[in-house]
Amino acid sequence: MTSAAPLLGLHDVSKRFGTLTALKNLSFHVNEGEVVGLLGDNGAGKSTTVNLISGIHQPTSGYISVDGKQTLFTCRTDSADAGVETIYQNTALVDSLSITRNIFMGRERVNGMGFLKQSEMREIAMEVLKSAVHISGIDSPDKLVGQLSGGQKQAVAIARAVFFKRRVLLLDEPTSALSVRETEALLNQVLKLKAENVSSVLVTHNLYHAYQVCDRFVIMSHGTKVFDVAKADTTIGQLTEYVVLT
Amino acid sequence: MTISSTDGGAVPSRTARSSLARQLLAKPAGSIFVVFALIQIACIVAGLLFPDDFRYLSPQNLTILMKAVPVLGCLALGAGVLMIAGEFDLSIGSVYTLTAIIMAVQVGDGMSAFLAAPLAILIGVAIGMLNGVITLRFGLPSFIVTLGGLLFWRGAVLLYNGAVQVRFDPGPAFSSLFSGTLFGLNAAFIWIILLVVVFHLLMHNHWFGNHVFATGGNRAAATAIGINVKRIKIAAFAIAGGMAAFAGILATSRVGSVQPGQGTGLELQAIAACVIGGLSLNGGRGSVIGIFLGVLLIHTITNVLLLVRAPGFYLEMFIATLIVGAAILNQFIERKGSA
Repeated sequence: MTSAAPLLGLHDVSKRFGTLTALKNLSFHVNEGEVVGLLGDNGAGKSTTVNLISGIHQPTSGYISVDGKQTLFTCRTDSADAGVETIYQNTALVDSLSITRNIFMGRERVNGMGFLKQSEMREIAMEVLKSAVHISGIDSPDKLVGQLSGGQKQAVAIARAVFFKRRVLLLDEPTSALSVRETEALLNQVLKLKAENVSSVLVTHNLYHAYQVCDRFVIMSHGTKVFDVAKADTTIGQLTEYVVLT
Repeated sequence: MTISSTDGGAVPSRTARSSLARQLLAKPAGSIFVVFALIQIACIVAGLLFPDDFRYLSPQNLTILMKAVPVLGCLALGAGVLMIAGEFDLSIGSVYTLTAIIMAVQVGDGMSAFLAAPLAILIGVAIGMLNGVITLRFGLPSFIVTLGGLLFWRGAVLLYNGAVQVRFDPGPAFSSLFSGTLFGLNAAFIWIILLVVVFHLLMHNHWFGNHVFATGGNRAAATAIGINVKRIKIAAFAIAGGMAAFAGILATSRVGSVQPGQGTGLELQAIAACVIGGLSLNGGRGSVIGIFLGVLLIHTITNVLLLVRAPGFYLEMFIATLIVGAAILNQFIERKGSA
């Protein structure tokens, strides 16, 4: 039995930068195996929310909970330890290194002397790319990431998240740099991970992409939540109204 | 029939050869290796054809080469690791002189060379770390911070011991360890080969090297994934300083004395060797073998120009051309890599 407590929750979170209030009493939660669309126009506070959840900023007031327990993410590593993987617009990859080395970057498999277990990592990378991420064109884990397209790079970032058994993917405007076909593949990837009980938060202002995959929508405006609705109870027309009119 | 069949046999082998060449050129140190091999073949052929006029293969000349390579080699290995991490150290030439003088003066005052040499390395490491801390703490370009270091430590040499040459007489055990001969090879040359192997393992097969490449290649990404980029950079600065001191030990053991002005310009030669060896000025790209080939190439060209009795300014013009040519090539490879 899974507990009733949501996997990730924000409770009355506010964030001020000096005199600027970026977030005001924002509360929402993400359940296990749920895809939540975090929507809103530019300046609604989406990016601040992403930075709070990934540990780059800390809330001025309110708190974040994981499995119902109050936690404080003081840095990126804290959120990673809690199982949050953030996939940025410009994915956190090193162009001059191979796919394998990027997947294991900072979490290398090493022997007792600290030397890399290169063939082991290469095999895992090949396996993950083949089984978890179906994006065409990646034929070898030795390829340099700099040679990949935008979609392929995001696939590598997702492969990394999948392999390290993340519980929540935080996708910050993931489709903005992608082709139509790559977008389709990425959205399918999110659904596939959901089937494996991995939750996602899809931050976007593209309502159509969100509507395609999300189970629930949280709409933000001026730093706070204005609407929180399950997909079954709304239409894309209503969502558009909320984003545009609030 | 016979002709067409040999033609048919030759075509695939030629394409296979060209794809092998392309593979070699695509490697980080591939193009430098090709250039190096061609120059070596040319030198060896010329040495065999004109043994009296071009004494490239004479034992004396090979010994000179073996003695000359290690000093620049050590400096370039340290500078190269730091460049891969995305930073520069212009102060290594001054640190090289300062630590060598301190070692020589201490040995002259009665300290054992086996204590003075580690002390020199420790001072080199400390100065490197200081460069790193200043660079990172104040968010400055390391170019500026270490330019300051270059002048500061050059002045410190004169403050410490004045503008006089210092004799270095460490005793036979120390001398044979750093400037003796083993199996016909110069001890310093054996040291540099060992160091190249160690650096290769460290940079390409160890997590540390992976973090150095990640830090220099994309600092934001390395930070986001949880690598402590500041610690990695400070470690790279420390390596650059320590290797500068080690170069000083090798040079001082060979010559038996230290000149206060001997390190001038060496930092630029070390960076030049790295660039020739395929390191990116932006960090994150390069290889240890490339650095070493860059050093060998600089010394081979120096040697050839000496053997043909060319005036000294040709050397600088040659190396200048080589650096700019190598940088253009690197830029080309990088663009292709990130397209």
